[in-house]
Amino acid sequence: MSEREKISEWIMPPGTGKAIELLRGQILRVEQIDGGQCVDFNCFNLHDYKEFMHCGRTRTVHGFNPSRGAFMWSAPPRERAMLYILDDTYGRNDVLFPRCSAYVYESAYGFDVHTNCHDIQAEAQREYGLTPDDVHDSFNLFMCTEVTLDGHATMTRQSTKPGDHVDLLALMDVLAVPNVCGADVMRTSNFSLKPIKLTVFAATPADLDAVPDVPRRASQRTPDDFRNPTIKPDRALRRDPTYAPEFPNVPIVVSDLAVVLSAAEFAMLRTLKLDIYGADDAAALRDILFSWWEERFLAAHSGAPAIEAQVASPRRQ
Amino acid sequence: MPDETVVTLKLNQQQLELVDRTVARGVAPDRAALVRLALREYAAAHLGRATTEDRSPD
Repeated sequence: MSEREKISEWIMPPGTGKAIELLRGQILRVEQIDGGQCVDFNCFNLHDYKEFMHCGRTRTVHGFNPSRGAFMWSAPPRERAMLYILDDTYGRNDVLFPRCSAYVYESAYGFDVHTNCHDIQAEAQREYGLTPDDVHDSFNLFMCTEVTLDGHATMTRQSTKPGDHVDLLALMDVLAVPNVCGADVMRTSNFSLKPIKLTVFAATPADLDAVPDVPRRASQRTPDDFRNPTIKPDRALRRDPTYAPEFPNVPIVVSDLAVVLSAAEFAMLRTLKLDIYGADDAAALRDILFSWWEERFLAAHSGAPAIEAQVASPRRQ
Repeated sequence: MPDETVVTLKLNQQQLELVDRTVARGVAPDRAALVRLALREYAAAHLGRATTEDRSPD
């Protein structure tokens, strides 16, 4: 396999972040220097900052702890694969927790000022003209989290070592913004702030070949498809007097479909019927119809495109 | 229990589109047949073989 060409290198000191132009076909390696450091991550389309990475979409497709073989997706209505996780030597990342913020450290710990991922991201993004309101939900690299049985998300300590890294391959030109998580009074980075090494490489043909094909869909829209493609320049919201709603597929029109069931089939329906439908056999049968459809025809869970790569599981904590 | 029971589903145009696309794939000859197939297959999957064989349709 050919060697990757190194393009640039950067050390992020504690309390800082770095906005990096990562072009399609380039790889950003986010690497532990001392080990034990969480890194928050934002990502924007370099040519249209309104397209940005969406943790909700990403966790729906890849679960709460995306790792090697997962994509980072942009928000609807774009919903494009922006980055591909080509390698992940530790295998614990998080898309559940929001970035920590100044409010957290003031309200919970009493700090007037404290390093926090929101403000670090905002300061790094300011280099490219973005505002604090443009910081989005962060993909938390090397962050160990779990969901408890009572429905809460919790964070735990991590055991990353020097050299542990995540390799992110750009599938489009992006502004990639990692930051050293500012949490030194939480366990996410084992109660200390450490530097992180960033390296940009040119992907090799083998790197590019490792990316699964992602189908292109008509629903992945761009501003050319928008009824209003203009970014609003002022802050106040005012009603457009010319507005006429054009919701998709509206009006919703309901039709009757009569289905003749044999005695045996009707008995099945009565047995399968969920309590929520009470005496409404038709609603129960409709539920069965579409539940069956999902079980028989859905290629992947939650409507995700069937693109998840079958890769060997990386090392776990 | 009567030999046959008519159940009238209420489906909107989007739901009917999915039904029609599934019928067009050859899964069933028409909409009503697809619903009955769904019921039988769903029952087979969720009620267990013995139960559904006891209530064998058609």
